[in-house]
Amino acid sequence: MNTIAHATIVMERTYSASPARVFAAWADVEARKRWSAPADNIRIEYEEADFREGGRDLSRCIEPGNEDYVAAVTYIDIKRDQRIAFVEDIAHGKKRVSAALISMELTPQGAATRLLLTMQIASFDEAGMEQGYQFGWNAALDNLAKEF
Amino acid sequence: MTNRSTTHATFVIEREYKAAPAKVFAAFANPASKAKWFVGPEEWDKSNHNLDFRIGGKESVSGGPPGGVVHSYDGEIWDIVENERIVISYQMHLDKQRISVSLGTTEIKPNGAGAKLIYTEQGAYLDGYDDAGERERGTQGLFDQLETFLSK
Repeated sequence: MNTIAHATIVMERTYSASPARVFAAWADVEARKRWSAPADNIRIEYEEADFREGGRDLSRCIEPGNEDYVAAVTYIDIKRDQRIAFVEDIAHGKKRVSAALISMELTPQGAATRLLLTMQIASFDEAGMEQGYQFGWNAALDNLAKEF
Repeated sequence: MTNRSTTHATFVIEREYKAAPAKVFAAFANPASKAKWFVGPEEWDKSNHNLDFRIGGKESVSGGPPGGVVHSYDGEIWDIVENERIVISYQMHLDKQRISVSLGTTEIKPNGAGAKLIYTEQGAYLDGYDDAGERERGTQGLFDQLETFLSK
């Protein structure tokens, strides 16, 4: 029987950088490759990267001993230095394991920037992707601090 | 700098239909069928409804009161399990203004001789133009129209 588990995860960080610098770290695919890998033994490779409204990314999360997680993203709403909203689905091996709507909002706080990340996730067939998003994005947002 | 806001919400609509799951699924999968119930109010001017029902396929329709604001729906299909599941993301515009992005999952389950439909919409409402309550009322109206279509 096919099932879907819906979940919403919210994460918040404050970075010692301007909104423009935080936004640039998302917009630039080379920067994103550095900070979005959630562990030292995991690397991210992009087969497609097109950061604009309607543009698509196709990336691969590669971990030795595990099948790749392949993420397909469509960017829906991009407001420079303020907001990025995108939809992504993830396949693990041959199986589609989740679809998610993700929004990232930036607000200036003095010389710093508050980042709010909201992930609205539909995890398919007991794939447990809520935990996957929790782990992956916690680590990625911590890594992002090192960019500044 | 424009003042941005993003409000997130989830709503769930459950319906029971006398029609079998395959018939309910077909009402979503067949473009000519979906065009009959997935439409705005009768008095609205409307565009054609376009649907390319496959994973990665697009759906679009727009309409509005004569001379008034045009409501545009643009969707993308992310997952299909025949007779069981459809996952679509969509954005809404009022004229040129993007007002929301949503992820909608439709689950169809056997229910005696009929079907149970569970629609879950996870939405991000942008810059204060719409909210989840308004969207849920609109979506309820669409599922009323689906019920009428299935009972014909």
